[in-house]
Amino acid sequence: MNEERYILFDQYLQGELTVDEKSSFEKQLAENPELAAELETFKEMHFQLENKFGIAQEREVFTENLTRISDKYFQKKKPKIVSMRPWYFAAAASAAIMFGLFFFDYKHYPNFEDYNHPESAYFTERGVSEETLKQAEDNFNGKRYAKAVPLFEAILKVNNSEEIKYFYGVSLLQVDKYVKAENVFKELEAGNSVYKEKAKWNRALSKLKQGKYKECEEILQTISQDYEDYDQVEQLLEELN
Amino acid sequence: MDQNKTHPDQKYIDGLAANDSVIIEMIYKKFAPKVCMFITNNSGDKDQAQDVIQEILILLFNQAKANKLRLTCPFDAYFFLLCKRRWLNELKKSENQRVTIYEHVVSTNESAQDLIAQTEEFDEKQQLFDTMFQKLGEKCQEVLKLSFSLKTMEEVAAKLNVTYGYVRKKKSLCVGQLTQWIQEAKNFNLLKNK
Repeated sequence: MNEERYILFDQYLQGELTVDEKSSFEKQLAENPELAAELETFKEMHFQLENKFGIAQEREVFTENLTRISDKYFQKKKPKIVSMRPWYFAAAASAAIMFGLFFFDYKHYPNFEDYNHPESAYFTERGVSEETLKQAEDNFNGKRYAKAVPLFEAILKVNNSEEIKYFYGVSLLQVDKYVKAENVFKELEAGNSVYKEKAKWNRALSKLKQGKYKECEEILQTISQDYEDYDQVEQLLEELN
Repeated sequence: MDQNKTHPDQKYIDGLAANDSVIIEMIYKKFAPKVCMFITNNSGDKDQAQDVIQEILILLFNQAKANKLRLTCPFDAYFFLLCKRRWLNELKKSENQRVTIYEHVVSTNESAQDLIAQTEEFDEKQQLFDTMFQKLGEKCQEVLKLSFSLKTMEEVAAKLNVTYGYVRKKKSLCVGQLTQWIQEAKNFNLLKNK
């Protein structure tokens, strides 16, 4: 291995050569394409090393999060299998039908709870105290929304991120603070973040929870078909009609 | 037609780079079904589909982090083709069993093809680099790891309990060793493709 050469490369890239050394090295580079190619590869190695170690921690956090979401999507946590004998099954089915008939209602309106599935929060905001963020996340995921609300308010004062706003809005909706919640969603709708369509959906849910079916329907009709849970939108629209 | 304009779907790339759970979930909901369908229709199962998708998303994360990914076409076509090509390569590796590929023709523009080529090149370079890095001696690996995760070379020297001069020289030589191997591999490929 040409040791001198690599030491020179390093000094050159660090800007440690004298003016004379530098110009003589650059002259060599211009005359010797093999040397120039090697310097390029040397620089590329720095780039690869920075990518490998500079963001190792971030990559680890990302991979963990990705695995969690992926497992959830592919439903890796096997549901408990309850074996049912056929006659039990028949009995259960007829009981279910009886139950259904009993509650069958011609003037049936959709129920907020059927559509209320807040996702879990996993925050990685910058510039906010980790502790507050973690508390907000835990309270939200633990469905202690009333506790989460003031924490979100504190975070929003420091970091006005769309993600925090969204989860703040969802928490407000859960504790029936409709006006505040809808204002938060409207703000998100006016923006252009990924929460735009989700905000519309949640504002529709807020109307549904208040029994304002007509308004709910109107909002649903403005949701883009690209929204990832559009099947829910369609289902709710159908139930409303 | 401006093929150089960033596509609005860049938000998915930025979301991956920022580790934004909402966007990652969105990617799964919107784009995973098509990939799963393709893989399960072509000699694969759901677990294999899950692996392929995850590998591609990690690759995109790395490329995005290196600031080398600007989407100029819809994410849908780009992501699907990357997964599909990855899966076809997997199948080729276990070539013994003959496979028939069932697919619908997907029309893609040149812009998508270019981007896919770039991403695959990024992947190949990274893999080649990783292979060479593993060939380095333990000491070299340690010096490089510290040099590129700590802020200054002074810190690296202190951590390893050696002089600044020693660690600087060692770093240059270790990067040099990698350079030499990669250069040889590149020259070999040039010869092969002549």
